[in-house]
Order: sequence, then structure tokens, then C-alpha cells
Amino acid sequence: MNRLSTRQATLVYSVTGIILIIFMIPIYLILASSLKPSADMFSRPPTVFFTPTLQHYVDLFTLRPFHWNIINSLIVTLGSTVFSVTIGALGAFALSRIRHPRINDAAFWILSMRMFPPIAVVVPYYIIFKSVGLLDTPLALIIVYSTANIPLTVWLMKGFFDEVPEALEEAAQVDGYGIVEIFYRITLPLAAPGLAVCAVFCFIFSWNEFLFALMLTGSSAQTATVAVMSFWSSDAVQWGRIMAGSFIILIPGVIFVLTCQKWLVKGLTLGSVK
Amino acid sequence: MASVSLTNVVKAFGAFKVVHGVDLDIADGEFVVLLGPSGCGKTTTLRMVAGLEDVNGGEIRIAGEVINDRAPKDRKIAMVFQNYALYPHMTVRQNMEFALKPQRLSKAEVDAKIAGVAAMLGLDVLLHRKPAQLSGGQRQRVAMGRAMVRTPEVFLFDEPLSNLDAKLRTQVRMEIAKLHKQLGTTVIYVTHDQVEAMTLADKIVIMKDGHIEQIGSPEEVFARPKNLFVATFIGSPSMNLFRMTAERGDTGTVLSSPAFSLLLPVELGAKLKPGQAVTLGVRPSDVRLAQAGDADAIEARVEVVEYLGVEALVDLRIGTQEFIAQIPASERPALDQAVKVVFNPAGLHLFDSESGQAL
Ligand SMILES: Nc1ncnc2c1ncn2[C@@H]1O[C@H](COP(=O)(O)OP(=O)(O)OP(=O)(O)O)[C@@H](O)[C@H]1O
Ligand SMILES: [Mg+2]
Repeated sequence: MNRLSTRQATLVYSVTGIILIIFMIPIYLILASSLKPSADMFSRPPTVFFTPTLQHYVDLFTLRPFHWNIINSLIVTLGSTVFSVTIGALGAFALSRIRHPRINDAAFWILSMRMFPPIAVVVPYYIIFKSVGLLDTPLALIIVYSTANIPLTVWLMKGFFDEVPEALEEAAQVDGYGIVEIFYRITLPLAAPGLAVCAVFCFIFSWNEFLFALMLTGSSAQTATVAVMSFWSSDAVQWGRIMAGSFIILIPGVIFVLTCQKWLVKGLTLGSVK
Repeated sequence: MASVSLTNVVKAFGAFKVVHGVDLDIADGEFVVLLGPSGCGKTTTLRMVAGLEDVNGGEIRIAGEVINDRAPKDRKIAMVFQNYALYPHMTVRQNMEFALKPQRLSKAEVDAKIAGVAAMLGLDVLLHRKPAQLSGGQRQRVAMGRAMVRTPEVFLFDEPLSNLDAKLRTQVRMEIAKLHKQLGTTVIYVTHDQVEAMTLADKIVIMKDGHIEQIGSPEEVFARPKNLFVATFIGSPSMNLFRMTAERGDTGTVLSSPAFSLLLPVELGAKLKPGQAVTLGVRPSDVRLAQAGDADAIEARVEVVEYLGVEALVDLRIGTQEFIAQIPASERPALDQAVKVVFNPAGLHLFDSESGQAL
């Protein structure tokens, strides 16, 4: 990469700095509010210096079963992510390798599943899950999230598989391997950055989802996002708990993205051909 | 090691036929080169032998067994791809191990095989590198090594040298020839480079538009081309062609055209009927400047002289007829001069003008 001149560098860093500040303000507010004593919450002007307290966090886990909400969220999110990425990658491989004049139509049809407005299907889902007894179970949310995550994964992974030179698979064929081994020993490792991207998308979507979780779960399968919202009741809004819960919700996503980051490297196929 | 034979092999992509009934017999240990212009179906033919393309008609046999419907892994072949197709996430050693794994050898056998091939190809110091850390020539070598460790019955090469620079190409070409002598494995080698074909092949198969035009040793296809296509395709610069009419002269058969006429040697003349339209082919190397006392010298004008060091290519013109002479550089004439040339009588090739077949 070319070295930047001083002026360019100043510009780049200023813009980066501004963007960073814009993104960090809400996070700062969440963190600050979650640590403020309730009395300081709405003082005007806002108190910048206050004695931080962990009371809201303690309340969250003692007065409420917030750890169970987190566990529900984790079950639903990891379940849907693993399932979607597995099924989606297999489907994408087929779409990428099958030569058929209508194959792109099939790909588009799968993507179109993603285009339903959620609000339009939430009632049918409710009725279906009620009749099969899945209401208020993590499995219901795993199914619902996967119907949204699989099309996305298929579409993204198809692009990554298209980039893996077919000659590599042919070489493995000649070397004595069957299609299954070729898929998981050659193609999939080379599309690993794609898997990471898909996993991040699926994770974030499932982790943050609110509407379906609100409608399809009651008490036992309630996820963290819905739980935080329940601190907002008609008689009182427990801002401190909402903020503490929100801050905790932020953490797993960040950890997951950072974990996946090392796979998000480009150029994994470098040097295979030519 | 094994023989390979193709009988009336046909391939079509949809309605588009690209290989039209190819017949080819390759003996055990033979080095066969498929040669032809771009798009003539060489790669497709090779891929059918490898099992990477379905065969739409005819039979392919390896060691006498029909293998049309066998998976590539059951054909005992190894292939070197044009772009090498090295597994980028594996080191050189892992690439070779991966190729050996289906053979279920012991660890010691695998190590011995890799060590043997690495020594033969000079890959020892590269074994722990990944393909991205190799030069083009090294990648090519690794690709060959990966094919060689498997000790296949048949080696398939698809333009393995086309991504190398000229100097490296010559060097690797010689190495391939040496390796073939050493290993004695049957080889099918695809190229559109006639120098590669001439230097490597026991047998050259010249293809055009999905048909085989001629099969023969390098000497045969050069000295006795079966038709005009082969005549002009083999040899560089290509053979000069003259459209002539045969006539009965006082001393034998004479070929004549508006540009010049030429008395044919008796045995060639005997093949022609008076009035027959023929195409005379003369390689540039069979055209030389006339010396005092040469009968039948042809006068031509010098248009361009290309100096190549040892030799020179001289573009000559008689009326509308243009042709090239390849002569020692020291004899090269000046531009725009009139010179007299003669054709080497042993280097005259006659083709029927209509069918293009050699007479
Ligand atoms: N998968 C395919 N689908 C349709 N047509 C194809 C396919 N593969 C090859 N062809 C066509 O078949 C013909 C022969 O192709 P092939 O690759 O065998 O040529 P080639 O002799 O190897 O040429 P080159 O020297 O350029 O590699 C070409 O006209 C090509 O367009
Ligand atoms: Mg080709």
C-alpha cells in the first residue's frame, strides 16, 4: 500500500475519529447509565461525574432471572447459526456447482424467502407453533431464525464457492477423492472466510431479534432482548436495569465477531492456480 | 504402466459437437502429444480420458479395459493441470500427501515416495512452503511432483508449460523428456506449441475442429504431412503454398502458374494428370538462392529481410505470389533486389487443391 502523505493521513484519521465517536456515544450512554445511581439518571444537566454502582447489574440477576434469558438467547442464537451455516453452505455448494439453465432461478427463489416482512408471517408462525406445541420453546425460534438465515447464507456462500477454482476439485477427483471429501477437505477450507462472514451475520441477526422472540416466547424461552424490554412496564420504567441488560447484551456479539475475525482474511486461495 | 485407446470417441456440449469420433491407439510407455490450434478439442479429449468429462459416444480403454463410466479415481491416472491446481491451504508436502492418501500406504512408504520425488525434482527445500510462496516454475514442478508420487499408469498433461517464460519452458521441457525416459510411463500431453510437440513426442496427434488430421512421429508429420492443414501447421515459418496446374512438358510433368513454372522430378510428376489443379508446398528452408549453373531458377523480388542471427527470413514476391525463404544470414540479399531462387527437389510437397490431401 502506498504511504499516505501527512495531509491525507490527517484527513483519514479525523474522519475515522468522527465516525468512531458517533458510534461510541450510544455505547457510552448505555454503560454510563447502567452504572449511575437511579437518582442521577435524569438529572439535568447530566452528571458526568458520579459514584458508579453495580446495583442495577445485581438486581438484574437477583430480582430477575436474567442469566436464564441470556442462556435462552445463546441456545437460540448458536442453534440457528450452526444449523443455518451448515445447511446453507451445503445448499450454496450445490447451487454453485450444478450446471443447469434454471439454477439461478432456484437461487433467487431461495433468496426471496428472505424478503418476507416478518410482521406478515408472525401470526401464521404463532398458529403453527401453537398447534404443534412448540410455542415458548427455543426450537421454535431456531426454526424461525433459520428460515431467515439460511437464504442469506446460501446467497453469500454461493459467491465464495464460485471463487474456489473448479480445477482444485478436479485435481482432488483425479487424486482419488469423492465429492464429500472434496467438499470438506478442499472447497470448504478455502471458503472459510465466507463461513465466518455468514456466522457473524446469522449470530447478530438471531441475537438481536426482537419481534419473533416477543411473539413466540412466554416466560420459559424468553430471550435477553425481550427480557430487557419487560423492564418497561406501564407503572414503572426501570432505566437502570434496561441499560445494564443492554450492556450485557452487547458483549457476546463483540466477542463472537472478534473470534471470527481471524477467519475473515482474504486471499486464502492465493497461489493455487497460475 | 498401460496402453490407452480411444475408439470413435465423441463429445458434445449440448447440441455443440466438439470431438467428432476420435480414434487413437497409444502403446504402453509411449509419449503422445495432442497438438492443434486453440479450440480444437485437445483439452476436452484429455479430460475425457481423465474422467472429468462424460463421453457421449465411443469407447476409451486403459490397459484394455473400457473405462468410460469409471470415476477419475478409478482410472489410475494422474494429471498436471494448466494452472497447476495446487491446494493452496496445504504445504508442498501436504499436497503430495493428500494425493497419496487414497492409496492407504504406511507412513514410511509415503515419506519414502515423497522423498524420492522431491529429490528427483529438486523440491526438498520447498516441502514446507505453501503454493503462494513459490515461483511459477516451482509451482509447475510441485504440480508434476504431486502427479508423480502417485506412480500412475498414465500421466495426463494439459499445457503444463504455458504459464512459464520462454527460457524456463525450454528447461522444464527437457526435464519432462528426461523424466519420461526415466519413468517410462505412458504420457498424453496437450499443447499448442509445436516445438514442445516435436521435441517431446514419440507420436504427435494433430487435431483440428474435433477431428484428427494426422497421427505420426515428429519426422513423419514434418516430412510427410497428410494434408494442407498439417503441412502449414507444422513448421515455422509455415510452408509456402503455390497454386499450380500440371502440364505435360517435353521433358516431363511441369507445374505452371502465372508467376513461374517448374519441372517436377519424374516420380512426383507421375502422380499427376495433365490439367490437374495442385497446390505445391515448399518449406522456407527448402528455398535457397540460386548459384551459377542452377537450371530452372525462379526470379523473385526481395520485399523484407528479417535477420535472426544464424539465419535470415527473406520475404519474396513474384507478381502477386508471396513466399518466404529461410537462408543462412551471411547470404541475405539487399532489399528490393531481384534474386534467383531454386527449390530443393526433395522438399517439394504436392496436394490436391480441391481436397487438400497430399498426393
Ligand atoms: N464446458 C463447456 N461447455 C461448452 N463448450 C465447451 C466447454 N468446454 C469446451 N467447450 C468448447 O469445446 C471446444 C474445444 O474446447 P477445448 O478446451 O477442448 O479446446 P482446446 O483444444 O483445449 O483449446 P486451447 O488450446 O485453447 O486450450 C471449444 O470450442 C470450446 O468452446
Ligand atoms: Mg485447452
